[in-house]
Order: sequence, then structure tokens, then C-alpha cells
Amino acid sequence: MKKEVEIKKIPIEEKKRLIREGKMKWFFPGHVVEQVVICLFIFVIMITLATLFPPHLGSMADPFNTPDHIKPEWYFLASFQLLIIAEKLDFLGAWAPKILGVGMQGVIIGILLMVPFIDRNPDRKYKNRKIAITLGILSVIIAIFLTLWAHFS
Amino acid sequence: MEQLKFGPITVKNRLAVKGFNYINKRLGLKEILDDEVFTKVAPTHLGFLSCFGGITFFIFLMQVVTGLLLMIYYIPDVDKAYASVVMITNDIEFGWVVRGLHAWGANLMVITVIIHMGKIYFSGIYKAPREFNWVTGIVLLNLTLGFSFTGYLLPWTQLSYWATVVGTEVPSAVPLVGDTIKILMRGGEDISQVTLSRFFTLHVILLPIATVVLLVLHFMQIRRQGISGPM
Repeated sequence: MKKEVEIKKIPIEEKKRLIREGKMKWFFPGHVVEQVVICLFIFVIMITLATLFPPHLGSMADPFNTPDHIKPEWYFLASFQLLIIAEKLDFLGAWAPKILGVGMQGVIIGILLMVPFIDRNPDRKYKNRKIAITLGILSVIIAIFLTLWAHFS
Repeated sequence: MEQLKFGPITVKNRLAVKGFNYINKRLGLKEILDDEVFTKVAPTHLGFLSCFGGITFFIFLMQVVTGLLLMIYYIPDVDKAYASVVMITNDIEFGWVVRGLHAWGANLMVITVIIHMGKIYFSGIYKAPREFNWVTGIVLLNLTLGFSFTGYLLPWTQLSYWATVVGTEVPSAVPLVGDTIKILMRGGEDISQVTLSRFFTLHVILLPIATVVLLVLHFMQIRRQGISGPM
């Protein structure tokens, strides 16, 4: 198996040549300064958001008062919607909605974990990875669709 | 004239050189600094989307700092938690900024993690020899969601209480062990003080330790395998 770049093992003269050719740059100060600038930029965004849109704090929890619409945070909406879809599967039997609903979540995490072992194609170019790219785009679209569906229903 | 060279920086001050050499003889700092910082090179082909792993790490560090500050005033008690969050927001000097940063950081971190994952997926960076780093990344994604889920209960608001009621109900659908998982998460049949204590412990101790361990594994693999080349 090809080990791509063991940066530490490259002799210093080779590094200087790579830098002259523009393929590499010194980690310090060039790269470090770049990273610090990006971090400060993110910090500015976060401070601005926190100031202009302070997080909402509702009323205190009341176990005896169930609100009408219980929805999770936006990042759980897609998987929340999957659970709601699974409830429609009760024609398969009383067991189906719950087990299929939670099963789908497990299968999705399982597939995500296995991605590099399912896709054994070593090529990285888009045009040689049509199935992987299509499946990727489809998953993104489905996830966005489920999130919007849950948000507006 | 004795002097020290650190990449582009030359130190000539006699006292500084002497002091550094004293420590260096004992700890070998010069070698480590040269290896890890001053003779290190970084690739130039990286674009905007390649920054999101680093941005996520920066937001994680921000969450650690703001989380520590919040923990100074937060009280994980069902009767006092809500009041302590109100106090942080209204009475504590700059408490509202710290809480705002922590809440926004949580949301932004999920976004940056997803962008990072998308970049790795669509550019095929998970391919050999980096398979295990993808797996480490997916575990870190789940840990991030775990942080969000456990942290959401802590202010003890209507929303957080009922979202947790629904959320902890989900694993009870797992055959055989489902109800055990639910009771383990809640610490009983209902959401109570025990649940709050458990979620607090998970949020401030267990998940951070797990995340740091996995981040070390994540970064060690990047050091070993290098940044992937251009496509």
C-alpha cells in the first residue's frame, strides 16, 4: 500500500525544493498565521451570532404540562421524520413501526461506518466514481428533504 | 557568539540562549520543535472546504472554554438548573455572551462536522490508507450529536425536558434490550433528577474524555498518513 506523504521523513533539501516549486509551504509562520486568521474569523461570526441572535430560553420544565408540538433540534429532525414515517408501516404488524424506525437509524450509522470498506474503488476522480457520487448526492437531498418535511409538518 | 535558530527566527539574546540551552539539555525541546514546527511543511493545494476539520476542532476548543465558564455558575439540580441559567444570562457579567457562544457553537459544530464529512466523502479521501480515520470520524460525529443531546436537557426548560422525553423513548424500540437502555438513560421510568445528573456527567466528563481520546487517534492518523494529495 502506498504511503502518500510522510512529511517528517522528507530531507530538508527536498522540502526546500518543494517550497521553491510552490507545492508546499513552511508550516511556520505561513500555515500557522493562515489558521489563526481563519479561527479569528470563525470567532467573529460566533460573537456576532451570539450578540444579534441570543439563544432562546423558554419557560421552566413542567412534567405535568405536555406541550402541543414536541420537535427535536434541527440536526435530529431527519432521523425524527424517519421514525414518523416508520409509524405508517403498521400494516406489516404491530411490531413493525418501532423496530423498523429504530432499526433504520442503526443501519444508517452502520453504513456510514462501513463506507471505506464498501467502496473499494481506489480511484478518487469524480468521473470514475459515478455510483459513490450519485449515492452521496442522493443521501444529501434525502436528508435535507426529511429535515424540511419535519420542520414544516 | 552563541545563537539559536528557530525557522525564520534567530535568537541572539545571551540570557535567552543560555536559559533555553539549560532546559534543552534536559528535555530535548529543540529537536521536537524543529520536527513538529520549524522544519515542517504544509501543502499548498488546500482550498476553503479543506479547512472545516480544523474549524470544527477550533469550535470544540471554544466549547471546552465556554463550557468550563458556564459550569462555574450552572447548578445541575432540577429545582435550581433553570434559575441558574437565567442568572447566567441576566445577572452574570458577560454571562449572556458565554452562553450565546456555547449554544451557537453547538449548532455550528454540527454544521462544520457535516461539511467536513461531505468534503471527505465527495473527494474520496476516506479511501486506502485512510479507512480507519473515516471510522474514527464517524464515531466523533456521533459523539458531537451525543454532546448536543445531553447538553440540550441541562437548562431544564419545557423544550429540553420534552425533547428528552421523546429522545430517550426512541431506544426502547430496540428488541430485547430496548427498555433496559431507556431506563439506563433516564435512571428510572421518568425524566427526573437522576436523568439530569446522568446527562450532566455525560456532557461534562464522559463525552469530553471520549472525544479527546478519539481526536488524538484522528490526528495521529493524519500525521502518519499525511494530508491527501490533490485529485
